[in-house]
Amino acid sequence: MRAVAALMMIAAMAFGWPARGLAEPEVDVTLDASPTEARVGEMMRLEVRVRVKGGSIEQLQLEDLQKYPELEIISHQTVRPMQVSFGFGSGVQVESSLGHVYVLRATAPGEYAFSPAVAKVDGRTYQSQPLTLHVRAGAGMKATPSPATMAPNDQGEADLSGAQYDERAFLRTVVEPQRAYVGQQVNVTIYLYTRLRLGPQSVAPGKPAMDGFWVYDDPITNLQAQSATVAGARYQVYALHRSVAFPQRTGELTIGAPSVTFDVGGASFFDAPQRIQREGVPVTIDVEALPTPVPANAVVGSYDIQMWIDRAAVATGDAVTLRVDATGVGNVQDLRIDLPPMVGVRALQPAIRDQQRLTGGKLSGTRSWEWILIAEAPGEHQVPPLAIHYFDPAEGQYGAAIAPSVSFTASGAARTPQPAVEPATPRPKPDGAAFGPISVYSALRRGEVPVRSRGWFGWLLAFPPFAFGLLALALSVVRRREQRSATSGAVQRELVRSARTALESDDPRTFYDRIVSAITHAIDASLGEPVGALPHVELRTRLGRAGFDDDLVDRVINELEGADFARFAASGVNQDEMQRCLQRTAAIIERVQRAKVSP
Amino acid sequence: MKRLVTVACLILGVSIGAAGQEGGSSSLTEVFEGANVAASRGDHASAVSGYGMLVDAGVRDPDVFYNLGTAFAQSGDYPRAILNYERALELRPNDDATEENLRMAERRLEEGRAEAEGEATIQRRSSIGDAIFGSLTEDALAYALLLANLCFFVCLAWAWTSRAWSGGLIAAFVAAGLILAFSALGIGVKAGTFRDGPRAIALDDRVVLLEGPDEQAQMRGEARGGDRCEVIGADRDFVKLRVVSGLEGWVPAAAVGLVDLDEGLH
Repeated sequence: MRAVAALMMIAAMAFGWPARGLAEPEVDVTLDASPTEARVGEMMRLEVRVRVKGGSIEQLQLEDLQKYPELEIISHQTVRPMQVSFGFGSGVQVESSLGHVYVLRATAPGEYAFSPAVAKVDGRTYQSQPLTLHVRAGAGMKATPSPATMAPNDQGEADLSGAQYDERAFLRTVVEPQRAYVGQQVNVTIYLYTRLRLGPQSVAPGKPAMDGFWVYDDPITNLQAQSATVAGARYQVYALHRSVAFPQRTGELTIGAPSVTFDVGGASFFDAPQRIQREGVPVTIDVEALPTPVPANAVVGSYDIQMWIDRAAVATGDAVTLRVDATGVGNVQDLRIDLPPMVGVRALQPAIRDQQRLTGGKLSGTRSWEWILIAEAPGEHQVPPLAIHYFDPAEGQYGAAIAPSVSFTASGAARTPQPAVEPATPRPKPDGAAFGPISVYSALRRGEVPVRSRGWFGWLLAFPPFAFGLLALALSVVRRREQRSATSGAVQRELVRSARTALESDDPRTFYDRIVSAITHAIDASLGEPVGALPHVELRTRLGRAGFDDDLVDRVINELEGADFARFAASGVNQDEMQRCLQRTAAIIERVQRAKVSP
Repeated sequence: MKRLVTVACLILGVSIGAAGQEGGSSSLTEVFEGANVAASRGDHASAVSGYGMLVDAGVRDPDVFYNLGTAFAQSGDYPRAILNYERALELRPNDDATEENLRMAERRLEEGRAEAEGEATIQRRSSIGDAIFGSLTEDALAYALLLANLCFFVCLAWAWTSRAWSGGLIAAFVAAGLILAFSALGIGVKAGTFRDGPRAIALDDRVVLLEGPDEQAQMRGEARGGDRCEVIGADRDFVKLRVVSGLEGWVPAAAVGLVDLDEGLH
């Protein structure tokens, strides 16, 4: 029973395939939306589908979707069911369909016209009907003018200082405050406003130039989107770059234009990725000097100061370490402390270390100074109080942090410093006479252009590879020609050998057939084109045009005509004639091979 | 063209001066010899002036830079001595006298500074590229590149035509390829392809690195005379320096000297 069923199946398929191959596929392409009218912010379901019976779907396109960035794609689903049915009448029937379902949210009012979706089935193109979506302004939202006519400074809801408006995407630089004192913290944040569907991984922001500032960056590792409405349209807003800057001089300082590149699209088959580049606008801030009178080394911020010494008693000539820490809010790198001179104490240059951190948008930190103090005289040495003066912009007044004095005692007699290791021989006192001697001769060469920059250098460098390229090209042409010649020669020899075998076996039909083939092949190889199909009159003309001498042309044509005649009247041919024909053919082939052919 | 005008002006000026001054110089050679005489007399200021005049006139000769460096060293200006010795070594690597004087100038500078301040360090840059190619001139590398390039392609053509790779041919091919790569890399190193800017040397004892190209800008750090650095930017009369430690800052252009006088900013 199974065998019968299998046979029936095979028979059905055997009869069915030709029927299928001849049948026209049934194709239905649809483009629908639900609803087709909505308000800004409402969802719409857009479905494009192709159903095919008896054919295979190659492509389904809806090109207009990427034209409208205002239609935000909330979700996208691809549906591809397939059904196979068997029937004796029409063979195997395959029903398949491919559909894309988009859930869209309109972010701006307008009419969005979609041209027909296009499906390609078995190499043929089918179209759906066109579709238009109508989006009205949202409830309570005022009607917005067309973006093309919108003035950049007329942006409705959002403050857009530091930005150049663009209906698709733009950058905005927010600086706070816009008037500052020298050394006061200024927060700089670069935002990207976009209505495009960007891939966060593709965002590459460019830092703005900030000459005249000391800058501490607050890196943004993860792009977080927020929503903002500009001119009635919803934008996704990303903070791209955040830093705190401290102006270093008075006057107008400019924060340069930021830039960004990012990719949009690529989320679906229909949505080709596109690289977008945007540049912001520079922002200027006014920087004022600190209010007079300015205390010595005053900075902006608020600080505490501590001072201590590592040992209270040392031998005269030994050193102690004086440590001062200033901690507070502000740029600690602006802090300066001048250690006043102390009688009987020599201070070496301080080692300075900074630790800075950004907490709650405020830069704070600690600057540490370490002086090595060498007690050169015995007695009690006192380090006077040290002060840091600072200006608080919020209160508009100066303050001071003061560290009380510290002291240490040096005991024992003063001693002259001795080197740790006595040199074997006394080092000579440095003097200029040790240098030299001077050169009394000089070629007085002028600044010469380096060899690599001279004009001929490039040409000389390029010549060997260029010459090698030419040589390789020429060699490959010659070798290819030789190879082709050797191949055609071998074929001709084989044909002549075959003709000789036919002669020996007294087979005139085969003999003359091989003779014709050998001559024709020799001419083919010489001319570089097939001539076997040419009538003899045309062949004569072609050979004459190619530069064959008339005698050779006559011989070739005569031999071909004789051989053609002999092939069909083989009974009248004898061995001697065939032998002579073979010799004539060999001579003709040799002359053809030697002939100089013009193209 | 500027150089030609400078030389012409120099010669003209010297010629006019010769009319009113007994023993005045009338050519670059005489300026050089005059500076040599001043140096041997111990008149370092005149020697520096004479050699400097030659440099201003476009002379780029290692002997002139060597003598200028020596005149600066003998007058105690070690940073400028180091600069001119570096310039001489750039043009004539492996010159023993120059290298010895350079080391001595650095040592004197360190000793003097250590005596005054308790410690002293001169920041020197030593890259692998400088170590490998330092003893070769750029022109020598360029000629080597041309020769190796020719040999490389001759070997290739030979093998291509004869269709045979003998042992000797392979050895020559590999050697030519290695020399080709070596000299190309060396030219890249010499031309500063792998640097961010021209090499320079701090000339003042303390060169204050500022936050911006402005004298009122805050101090960011400092470089000491003789420190090696790179000039990575310029703005009016200021240049942006990067010292060996990686610290960057703006300094007045006069506070540093370029090792290669004809090298522009990248």
